[in-house]
Amino acid sequence: MSNHADEKGARMGMWFFLYTEIMFFGGLFVLYAAYYHRYTEDFIVAGRETMLVLGGLNTAILLVSSFAVAAAVRAVSKSSSRTAILLLGVTVILGLIFLFNKYLEWRRDFADGYYPGSDKMASGPVGQSIFFALYFTLTGLHALHVLIGTGILAACLVLTAKRRITADRMSFMENSGLFWHLVDIIWIFLFPLFYLLL
Amino acid sequence: MENIVKYADNVLIYIIVFCLILLVLITAAMIYFAVRYRKSRTPEASDIRGNLKLELAWMILPTIIALSMFYFGWESFLGLRAVPPDAINIDVNAMQFSWVFIYPNQKESEGLMVVPQGKPVKVNLTSLDVIHSFYLPAFRIKMDAVPNMKTYTWFYADKPGDYHILCAEFCGVGHADMTATLRIVPESEYQKWLNKK
Amino acid sequence: MAAGQSFYQTPSSDRHSGIGAWLLTTDHKRIGLMYGAVILFYFFVAVVLGLLMRTELMGLNTKIVSAQTYNALFTLHGVIMVFLFIIPGMPAILGNFLMPIQIGAKDVIFPRINLLTWYLFVIGSVLVIISLFAQGAPDTGWTFYVPFSITTHTGVTLTVFAVFVLGLSSMLTGINFITTIHTLRKEGMGWMQIPLFTWSIYSTAWVQVLATPVIGITMLLIMIERLFGVGLLDPSKGGDPLMFQHLFWMYSHPAVYIMILPGMGIISEIFPVFCRKSIFGYRAIVAAGLAIAAIGSLVWAHHMFVSGMSDAAVLVFSFLTFIVAVPSAVKVFNWVSTMYKGSIFMAPPFLFALCFIVLFSIGGLSGLVQGAAGPNVHIHDTHWVVGHFHFVMFGGAAFAFLGGLHFWWPKMFGRLYDFKKAYIGGAMLAVGFMMHYFPMFILGLEGMPRRYYAYLPKFWALNFFAGIGAYIMVAGIALIFINLFLSFKNPQAAPADPWGATTLEWSVPSPPPLENFVKEPAVEPYPYDFAGKAKKLKATGD
Repeated sequence: MSNHADEKGARMGMWFFLYTEIMFFGGLFVLYAAYYHRYTEDFIVAGRETMLVLGGLNTAILLVSSFAVAAAVRAVSKSSSRTAILLLGVTVILGLIFLFNKYLEWRRDFADGYYPGSDKMASGPVGQSIFFALYFTLTGLHALHVLIGTGILAACLVLTAKRRITADRMSFMENSGLFWHLVDIIWIFLFPLFYLLL
Repeated sequence: MENIVKYADNVLIYIIVFCLILLVLITAAMIYFAVRYRKSRTPEASDIRGNLKLELAWMILPTIIALSMFYFGWESFLGLRAVPPDAINIDVNAMQFSWVFIYPNQKESEGLMVVPQGKPVKVNLTSLDVIHSFYLPAFRIKMDAVPNMKTYTWFYADKPGDYHILCAEFCGVGHADMTATLRIVPESEYQKWLNKK
Repeated sequence: MAAGQSFYQTPSSDRHSGIGAWLLTTDHKRIGLMYGAVILFYFFVAVVLGLLMRTELMGLNTKIVSAQTYNALFTLHGVIMVFLFIIPGMPAILGNFLMPIQIGAKDVIFPRINLLTWYLFVIGSVLVIISLFAQGAPDTGWTFYVPFSITTHTGVTLTVFAVFVLGLSSMLTGINFITTIHTLRKEGMGWMQIPLFTWSIYSTAWVQVLATPVIGITMLLIMIERLFGVGLLDPSKGGDPLMFQHLFWMYSHPAVYIMILPGMGIISEIFPVFCRKSIFGYRAIVAAGLAIAAIGSLVWAHHMFVSGMSDAAVLVFSFLTFIVAVPSAVKVFNWVSTMYKGSIFMAPPFLFALCFIVLFSIGGLSGLVQGAAGPNVHIHDTHWVVGHFHFVMFGGAAFAFLGGLHFWWPKMFGRLYDFKKAYIGGAMLAVGFMMHYFPMFILGLEGMPRRYYAYLPKFWALNFFAGIGAYIMVAGIALIFINLFLSFKNPQAAPADPWGATTLEWSVPSPPPLENFVKEPAVEPYPYDFAGKAKKLKATGD
């Protein structure tokens, strides 16, 4: 099996995998659309209660980190591994900050009773409870992806430092970058749906 | 109106007969070829790789047949959905594992549905727990009873007698025993039953 | 690698031997056989469960099992047959073993991921078994309809997690196979030189990639609902149970095509070989396979005509259902026409293929009755539906699988089985099958719902008759597999090409060596050129 076919295959396989991820989240977006249609008013009221500032900050964090990953991939292909390590380090730290912000946000949500099953939700209209059910399910699954992505990029950092990722052998690095971009793109959809538009 | 059941049956028969014809043709051709072109009779096979005209023909013909089935099926479905305006409304609550019927005068009965002969009956369904399905085989109707949702179906009560009501959506340990009786009686008897406490 | 040694004698990595050479292998052939061992085990388990159900139904007032046990039986029969036998059966066993050889490759593109899918599959299947004993056997049916599945106290959480893991395995297999077929085809093999079995694996893999993530998220939602009670699927908290049905069938209807498409591929391989003639309409069969995969992804809600969904949706999905019937019909016509002016000889694989044509036709045609909106209202969720999908899945997919097993058995194991026993077993299976499933159509028309452990007295006679058929059928299955396993005692090795076929897997020794090819494979411009092959044989004086 030639190395060339391997590289091409790895990239193609990764794209198929990203596609399945989109289908995975797609199912939840379908749910969002259907429930938004049914409980439009409640969604608008509930949507005002999410924390726009932290959400916005997290959007900025992911966008910057996505840029950092792209730059890191380019640095590896130009054989400047020191730059790559630096950029990967930045990305991993940004990913961790994202998760920390998420923690702050959820802590506030729970403290103020913005979660399905709380007394506040039980006494209010069901549509609001459904909104927060979607909010926690979607952002929760997304946060899980951020966590996994951060882990993978940390592995890339170590492998680059150990010279196991080089300009000739970078399909793992490229695919990790693609995964991170996907995580970013999904957030780009989540942010307006839960924070901005409503 | 009384013909809804008959029409549904005719559509069913139309489709089944067409299917049987196709099945017999396919099977007969297969068996005939298997015998006619067996190795001992045709030691040398012809090199035929396809025939565009033939293939187009058997693409278009089944499409037309299939679309006719679709059309008749849809027509009969519309009949099953179009409730006549003079129908009696009966609310049906499904629960694990019984049927409760609520009449226009708020009378309730469990396991027995009594309706007057010669009237269309609209069945308004909902469920109090999990999904059930109201199935009246004799009238070819079925509709799911879904919690927090209202669904409906209707039938024309033409012949007096007792009929089975079954649950067709799996709902738990008592699913098979979740039956009820539909009793069609003359109008006077219905009124007497309705006003009995 | 010593020349002439089969892959059984050469582990794919020198570091391991014995059982380790199997459990840590990356050889697609060994992985295929490992899948085979596990899948057949579960198949036999599910057959026994099914037989228990039908035994219960043979008597009117007998109580061999309780209602709760019966519910667990059909749930497990369904879950095991669907997720542990038919979905992985053909792609993961035969596809794994043969697809790389058919395209002239040494292995799949991601051999380690291939092994990973096997482990995921085994873990998922073990979780299914554990879920039986952890909190009581699941009793929801394999469809897991909410809100019942979120309120029942049995161990559904673990079962749906198992399905999630199995889905992951199936999806990774799909990604692996698509990428392999795109990148590893032997030079000179264009898309129109690919054998039809590989084409069917390709279409199947697309459905696996397209649809499986949706079942993943759906199963995850049930878990979230059962663990945290967020309410997304719970009508008492504002959720909509119909949304679950949409999401579930969005996967599970295309999954039907994951089950049947590889079977169609096998039939497309068997017919030309035993007719000594090119397949009739190669391109049409390829196109029909892709059309089935594409349109089949858009017909899911025909399972929901009486669910309370809008009438407009019924119109659209009924229409699309009739459209998807056409490519299947085209394939049947092409197979039968392949026999025309052929030179037909009988062998066990061909017997199974002929049975397939009849049984699959009955299955497909009975599906037309269900696709019609009006008739569907009456027969939905009755025994008609049970009959229909067993004709398609068992009469179609499983007969094709058995045909494929008999076709490639000498290739996989290097031994030929006894023909006579195979014929008797196949005939018993086919006769028992008809006796067992055909009465279900009549039961359905008479109005016997499915998933009933007890029924009205008027349904007794046909249920009893069907039960007898079930026993004949199971005896047939037993004979078929005993006969296949007895072939290991056959001292005579099978030739490389016992049937006189044309595709690449028959050009390598039986069983094939590690990395498949002894000499560079030569790709023919047309994969089913029997006339050319006959000419060549004459020229060499054979």
